[in-house]
Amino acid sequence: MKHSYKIIYYLLSVVFLMLLFSSCKHHEGEYHNVNDKIEAEGKHYQGVSVSSEAYIGDIKTIEVTEGEHTFLIPERKTQIKSYACTECHSKPLDKMQNKEGKKAHWDIALHHANDNAMNCVTCHNGSNMDDLKSITGNVIDFNKSYQLCSQCHNKQFEDWKGGAHGKRIGGWAPPRASMTCVNCHNPHKPHFDSRWPARYNTQKVKERE
Amino acid sequence: MSSSKKKWFSLNLSNKSQNTTSCGCGKSSGGCGSHSPTPNETDQPKDGFDQVFDVKMSRRTAFKQLAASLAIGAGAVSTSCSVIAGDESKEKAQIDWEEQFKGNYKLMSDEEKQATVDRLVRSYQLRTGKTLNMSAKNAEKDVLFGYAFNISKCQGYMDCVSACVEENNQDRNSQMQYIRIHEMKDGKGFNFNEADDNYYHEVPAEGHFYMGTQCFHCDNPPCVEVCPVQATWREDDGLVVVDYDWCVGCRYCMAACPYDGRRFNWSKPEVPEEEVNKNQHYLGNRMRKKGVMEKCTFCVQRSRAGKNPACVEACPTGARIFGNLLDPNSTIRWVLENKKVFRLKEDLGTEPKFWYFMD
Repeated sequence: MKHSYKIIYYLLSVVFLMLLFSSCKHHEGEYHNVNDKIEAEGKHYQGVSVSSEAYIGDIKTIEVTEGEHTFLIPERKTQIKSYACTECHSKPLDKMQNKEGKKAHWDIALHHANDNAMNCVTCHNGSNMDDLKSITGNVIDFNKSYQLCSQCHNKQFEDWKGGAHGKRIGGWAPPRASMTCVNCHNPHKPHFDSRWPARYNTQKVKERE
Repeated sequence: MSSSKKKWFSLNLSNKSQNTTSCGCGKSSGGCGSHSPTPNETDQPKDGFDQVFDVKMSRRTAFKQLAASLAIGAGAVSTSCSVIAGDESKEKAQIDWEEQFKGNYKLMSDEEKQATVDRLVRSYQLRTGKTLNMSAKNAEKDVLFGYAFNISKCQGYMDCVSACVEENNQDRNSQMQYIRIHEMKDGKGFNFNEADDNYYHEVPAEGHFYMGTQCFHCDNPPCVEVCPVQATWREDDGLVVVDYDWCVGCRYCMAACPYDGRRFNWSKPEVPEEEVNKNQHYLGNRMRKKGVMEKCTFCVQRSRAGKNPACVEACPTGARIFGNLLDPNSTIRWVLENKKVFRLKEDLGTEPKFWYFMD
């Protein structure tokens, strides 16, 4: 009698263990969570066959390397209407500030920080208009104007380098091409305007009445 | 033990000999259902006609199948056998017939997928005289799509919603939208009860923040689990998709989704011919019919080609980030590893591949 109880206990424990280690599910539950899945399946990442190159299109790009990130940004100089600036700015600034001659940039008003912090020559180089300048007076190329912005906006700069701030050009697939600061923000008025939403769902209003 | 007929069921655990009469039901040959299938039976998934015809069915289901098919069949046969019907209507009838009896897209071979896509393109051409570009591109190796949404960047402009509707050929009459943008009060957290997802005033409104929801393409999707006909499933690149031709419209998935990610076609979806996006995918933005489910597919027709979904491309604030989770150098991976990210209703274990973060 005792012996048969032992067998039953033995059998029950075997059944219990089998239930414990076998799942009724199919193989969907291979990973405990999606992070485990990303880690496991990304370990032997071999690259993908699709590419963003075709979607970047006619946009001329330059490659930049900042920290451990290397990516493309749109080239800027050819997009500025009257570059090179020295074509007009042949004389020093104070000599050009008179009532005669053509007016230029009269429509630009600076809405960026306050008067104490910034004016035109915080970024523009009065002695060489073809380049920008850092706070300490070093030359910054118009193509790499992000170096200027990142002097103050260093948090945004970190996010932009990693890809958390700003937009991609083309698609998700490599190579990475990202818009640079001035492609979205007007440097003279960087804040986005408020506006009306793109659409209003009138059907939803009816349904909820 | 099992040779003598018993009226109860007993597990025959201790006796593992290759007894031909080891089945609990006492029979030595098939029929009780507890015999494991022989390997050659499971070798290949059935497809096409086999899925429909090569199954054991009761008289009742057989009649049901027949009745359903008879309507289309009779029409098709009468047209294709008719001497007065033109070649085009015969071809149309042939396509309708083959479409009616095609299998589940999930189980199709690549040739069969291409064949059904070709039929749909031809059918559209016959009906409207216009040509489509429809793809049957499969998931690529080493790709798992993920999405990140920056709630401190979104300004509620709803450009994403517009782009989505245009890209995905959603019904214009019912104004179906995959994306919802919720306007929420600052300091109240994610309070969906008090949020407004259909505002119309200048945005961003003072004292509010905006967050978008859509299908989160869960890695453990509850909608897939409840589908009685397996018309929805998770692809290898993580996209949760619907075979609109296999969906029976029971809306179980809609009820199962904890994120309100699924939409139903209560009426025949209509898109003005000149607004139809002709760049389509079988699992994506091809034209749907009345009575089937649909939802965001991360624009499968775009994403599998390497592009960003339409919402990501349309967003003027850069609040939407899309990419390959398996690529260690992708921007989405950087966001997940360096920003403080969270997901909606994480405790449900649905494992959405859609993360929120702040600056």
